[in-house]
Amino acid sequence: MEKPQYNTDIVKSFVHSSVLWGLVTVLVGLVVSVQLTNPELNFPPYFTYGRLRPLHTNAGFFGWVVGFIFATFYYIVQRLCKVRLWSDKLATFQLWFFNATIVATAITLLLGYTTSKEYHEMEWPIDLMIIILWVTFAVNIVMTIIKRKEEQMYISLWYMLAAIVGVAILFLVNSAAVPVSLFKSYSAFAGTNDANVQWWFGHNAVAMLLTAPPLAMFYYFLPKSTGVPIYSHKISIISFWSMIFMYLWTGAHHLLWTPVPDWIQTLAMAFSVMLIAPSWGSVINGYMSMKGQWHQMRENYLVKFLILGITFYGLQTLQGPMQAIRSFSAFIHYTDWVPAHIHMGTMGWVSMIGFASIYYLVPRIYGKELYSIPLANVHFWLALTGQLVWSISLWIAGVLQAGMWTAMNPDGSLTYTFMETMVEMYPYWWARTAGGALFFFGILVFIYNLFKTVRNGEKTAPLTAIAQGRA
Amino acid sequence: MDLASILYLGVTFGLFAIFAWIVIRTYSRKNRDKNEIAKYRMLDDD
Amino acid sequence: MWEKRPILLLLLATAAIMVGTIVTMIVPFMSVNTEADRIESVTPYTPLQQEGRDIYIREGCNNCHTQTVRPLVSEVLRYGEYSKSGEFVYDRPFLWGSKRTGPDLARLGGKYPDAWHYKHMDSPRTMITGSNMPDYGWIKENLLDPQMIQRKMETLNFPYTAEQISALAVKNEMDAMVAYLQKLGSDIPWRKAAETTIIGELNNPFTGDKGAIEAGGELYENSCAPCHGDKLEGDIGPELTDLDMDDADLYQIIHNGISDGGMPAFGSIGSDKVWQLVNYLQSEDDN
Repeated sequence: MEKPQYNTDIVKSFVHSSVLWGLVTVLVGLVVSVQLTNPELNFPPYFTYGRLRPLHTNAGFFGWVVGFIFATFYYIVQRLCKVRLWSDKLATFQLWFFNATIVATAITLLLGYTTSKEYHEMEWPIDLMIIILWVTFAVNIVMTIIKRKEEQMYISLWYMLAAIVGVAILFLVNSAAVPVSLFKSYSAFAGTNDANVQWWFGHNAVAMLLTAPPLAMFYYFLPKSTGVPIYSHKISIISFWSMIFMYLWTGAHHLLWTPVPDWIQTLAMAFSVMLIAPSWGSVINGYMSMKGQWHQMRENYLVKFLILGITFYGLQTLQGPMQAIRSFSAFIHYTDWVPAHIHMGTMGWVSMIGFASIYYLVPRIYGKELYSIPLANVHFWLALTGQLVWSISLWIAGVLQAGMWTAMNPDGSLTYTFMETMVEMYPYWWARTAGGALFFFGILVFIYNLFKTVRNGEKTAPLTAIAQGRA
Repeated sequence: MDLASILYLGVTFGLFAIFAWIVIRTYSRKNRDKNEIAKYRMLDDD
Repeated sequence: MWEKRPILLLLLATAAIMVGTIVTMIVPFMSVNTEADRIESVTPYTPLQQEGRDIYIREGCNNCHTQTVRPLVSEVLRYGEYSKSGEFVYDRPFLWGSKRTGPDLARLGGKYPDAWHYKHMDSPRTMITGSNMPDYGWIKENLLDPQMIQRKMETLNFPYTAEQISALAVKNEMDAMVAYLQKLGSDIPWRKAAETTIIGELNNPFTGDKGAIEAGGELYENSCAPCHGDKLEGDIGPELTDLDMDDADLYQIIHNGISDGGMPAFGSIGSDKVWQLVNYLQSEDDN
């Protein structure tokens, strides 16, 4: 059979864009973390914590993560289907429209145009842009899969399809609003209903953007990097159906003890605990795929990123259900524990898989050897230690603050005022900034390494050799 | 038992039956090996 | 079957996603914000309050402040009556938040006098030592746009009068913000209900105790001085140099606050600390 000519240009462009937005995300993250310890570093009106923090989260979610979802999915889908992308033109349009949307998001958020809904702060005109973006992406992926030359669909394609439809449903419902002007709208839902819709969206955006797509990448790039197939395609099938079914019930665990009806909270709590099973199905599948290959953890930097990534996914999906239990939530919710949890997921799981995918892609799409494997290892350790410092310091802070918030005197009065609990946080916030700085240096090393690879990396042996793991 | 409880139990058992069906189907003698083909084929796609 | 048919897989995945969606996201619409959880006394925002709320959203205050009190002992003690669904029917969007870098604001309305908010928004650290809240004095420079606000009220379908709209012309964003903050959580009369009735005689446990006076002085500096002045000379609150009040009355006022006078209740800090304050104030009074 003749080898199809894959479109690699689009993969290159999306890699560039996502890495750029990743850099912006971490940079803005550093700024907001310093603003928490040094309030004089707020520069109103545009550069205050309240306006920059949504920029950090949305640049991360939609710039960095969605950027590398586009890049990796376009790479993976062509190869798993053994056909060229359905439409090059549509993909090119999508690339420019993607960057325009992220720029528009950044500008409008700094100008104060926001809906206040977490991870979905952009106002309605940008919501429309995102819908157009997602439809062009969905059409291209689905059409490519339809005209594939391979009978069965590998599990990565399943996760892609689920993510495509999942994001579409979530985003459409949570965007519902009545516009007052071009830059101001009011949510279609009020109060408790709005809260319930928002966290149904919020938690499942985590499922459909930060879980399903990275799993698709993990299931593709791990066997590709080790050269041996995954342990069980059947386990991945069972995990797939259970995960996409159960996730949607769990949004209200963000709203435990709030006025949202109790039965929704209880369902959310139960399903969150049940979600451990499919999550760990994927984790165990990943570990078992390493049977007889564990030596590659020493020799193959890609495997290091991927296995640490899936390990943090495993930890994240144990810690998450724990927080989703009423009694524990009563203690820990609203403290700094929560951002520590989120950042283990984003820095430890999603970004690790993102880094591994891009390290895998760049040498192949440019036909050059990676400039420096030692530098990739330096990046690995900076990312890992940065994330651990970040999360561990804020877990400690969270427990301390929760303890102080709930401490009571024998006469039934509170032991500490709010401010007494807040000033205790400063040292931990500094530690968090230090962790973020380590992660940031890691990103700089990453970018330098990629840049040098493209600029003056050695030409590789023919691509087929790489594919067979001989180079 | 009132109607609500019957509905509740019915839906729960219905969902469980679907899950059981997926597991049985995936691991059935007929499909056991077929369902692993994709993981080998994905290795030679470049 | 579906492993070979992408469209079928897509449809089945959609079905799997929709089950939980329907049960936990769509079904609740039948009971939430209906007669079932309605609270008679809850009213829509006035034009000024609604504009304040939109400025709160614009500045991303919800990134650091929550607006929902959970039914937990320490939380009700710290913030006040726990939040109820019916109190939020006019909130579009909801602003419950997810992180308390600063305190919860669900019961802020009526806790402090307006003057406190103007000073605090202008420069938070002059009122609260150690605070990391950014200064928002600059919003005073921005005047309101009555026409735009009228359009907002129309969109939200909230009642308003022509006088309310024309009055906006002389207001700035700070006025709107303070009006909004004063409305928060005050639609139900919880503050009066939460007051403690003291039964029996109150006896000062620290009479003449130098240590208690010193501890009271420290408490005063952090909690009272921003309103009553460093030397009790008065500022937002009245001067306290010439109190002429007995220990028990003073205790009652500090413990319960003055709910219609803008003095917050300090009972949650514990009776020992309240007594220390009483002794400090009395000792200053004697000098």
